[in-house]
Amino acid sequence: MSFAATTYVIRAEMVKTVRIYFAYPIIIVFWAIFPVLWVLPFLFQGKALVGSGSSAAFQQLTGSGNYMAFILIGAMVSNFVFSGLWGVGNSLREETYWGTMEYIIASPTHPLVILVGKTLSEAAITTCIVVLQATIISLLPFGIAFTVAKVLPVLLLVGLLMLGFYGFAIALAGFTLLIKEVHGWIHTLEWVFFLFSPIRYPVQVNVITEFVSKLIPLTWALVAIRAIIMVNRHDVGLWKIVGVLLGMDAVLLVGGYLTFVALERKTRRDGTVGMH
Amino acid sequence: MTNREGDRALEPSHCPTGAAAANPRTLEPSSPALEVQAVVKKFRRGRGLKKRITRAVDGATLTLPRGELFGLLGPNGAGKTTLVRCIATLLIPDAGTIKVLGHDAFKDSLYCRQRIGLLTSGERTLYWKLSARDNLNFFAALYGLTGKARDKRIDYLIELLGLKDVERERLERYSSGMKQKVSLARAILHNPDLILLDEPSLGLDPQFARFIRQFIKEELNRKQGKTILLTTHYMDEADELCQRIAFINKGKIVDVKTPEQYKRDIPHTEVLEIRCQGQPDTAPIQALPGVERIASEFKDGVTTLKVVAPRAETVLSEVIELLRKGGRILGIDIKQPTLEDVFLYVTGTSLGADTAEHKPEAQ
Repeated sequence: MSFAATTYVIRAEMVKTVRIYFAYPIIIVFWAIFPVLWVLPFLFQGKALVGSGSSAAFQQLTGSGNYMAFILIGAMVSNFVFSGLWGVGNSLREETYWGTMEYIIASPTHPLVILVGKTLSEAAITTCIVVLQATIISLLPFGIAFTVAKVLPVLLLVGLLMLGFYGFAIALAGFTLLIKEVHGWIHTLEWVFFLFSPIRYPVQVNVITEFVSKLIPLTWALVAIRAIIMVNRHDVGLWKIVGVLLGMDAVLLVGGYLTFVALERKTRRDGTVGMH
Repeated sequence: MTNREGDRALEPSHCPTGAAAANPRTLEPSSPALEVQAVVKKFRRGRGLKKRITRAVDGATLTLPRGELFGLLGPNGAGKTTLVRCIATLLIPDAGTIKVLGHDAFKDSLYCRQRIGLLTSGERTLYWKLSARDNLNFFAALYGLTGKARDKRIDYLIELLGLKDVERERLERYSSGMKQKVSLARAILHNPDLILLDEPSLGLDPQFARFIRQFIKEELNRKQGKTILLTTHYMDEADELCQRIAFINKGKIVDVKTPEQYKRDIPHTEVLEIRCQGQPDTAPIQALPGVERIASEFKDGVTTLKVVAPRAETVLSEVIELLRKGGRILGIDIKQPTLEDVFLYVTGTSLGADTAEHKPEAQ
């Protein structure tokens, strides 16, 4: 299949995904209220824990006392990661529910092309949500301001972070093709990430979490993103972190691709393509 | 895929059909549309000590010349769908070869997928939240159909299948028959050479089933010259549509003939059909002299028993006597043999039976 035909399939998949996404009226409600509501639990949690939103103990661990900013950035970036995992990892599962998976597999288009289309539509939807979230929190008094000098390196870091996670999600999509279950996997992963990466707290609070966190790309990205946004520091070894993320991306993308191809073939052999 | 390939997928009157039209490099005019050679597909069932292997397809061999409408007739679980899925490259067989227009289905799978149109049974095979046109737009992209060629082809199919008035409505509002029409449009969207139709009229009301059968026979086969492999367990459908029929039972192709040959070959002219309450013991009837085969089907408390004998009236009184011991007889009929009776005669299995769990092998 030519490059033009491949991009056309990706576009068709994106159009289809977005149309189906907005075919459910509840999504409109979600878009109307979620960007405002999501920030409230963090606001209340912060107030309950540190009162004014700043903490000296927290300052010692992270270099910034702004607990609210710390946790809101963690929540935004992790939202990106988790919706990517859900969206891509679960997408082929949805196709089997709809009964359309067999027709995709029986077509001359490689299912990975479809998965790329799903990934891009998921990324587009999640980006819109995160941009809305970022706009709202920048308007509230949390000490978070987005300037071009901050946003560009953050976009680079988020892009690299997501590349690796999409590689991982593609492997996950392969597993869901085979074992027809995704919720258990993603819930487990979510909690592993919550435990071992600095989404809600600095991982330095525990030796084990601090050690394991270094194996998770989310940790590297969050450290750099927070340094840039919260304390306006670009001297946190940005290029070193970019290098680490690139290395992890290469491993996750190649590993994800190989895993998917192997599992898709096994599914054809087992005769479970259309099962759900 | 090039635009030339996209352009070919117009209505048949506007463009040549078949692989030759698409790509002269791959032209193999002498090759049949489909060659299935000694295909075996096994499935593992159960776990641990209960683990066993069943042969869903057991050495199936078939050859379909171009332009034939060929039927695969067998009861539920006979292996029809498994064989179709192997041909459609959805399943990798454990042994044997499958060639589509002379190309190996697994070594040259992209070519074969481009030449195959598939329709499986069941209405949940489309995006219900999208319209017929949006569904067809998406699947057209998977086959490399783009731009004006795609729009023209979809317009043509929507018109041909009578979907014009509802083309923009979501499929969730369609009846089963309407959805099946969209499925059929999808199967022929890319103008394939070989069309695989797996139980195309299953679950449809008689009016839609009639439309689908007529469309398959007149439009696709007679007018467009498509090669069609149709699986069914409705003997009327196979009898009405197919030029040749393969009987498949317990994963094996038992016989391949024309419907007329099958009916001519059966060495008796009558089938005794008896309906009775409950489930009588059929072993004494089978043991009667003059009875060749029997088949029974139990549904809603009533057993329909079919007794094949050279002369039905010679065994009638003995059969009635044996059945009366077991319960009340509701009706007796002596019939001319149908294709279903031929199937029973050849395989010893009724088409209404379920033979899904056959031939276990030790693990």
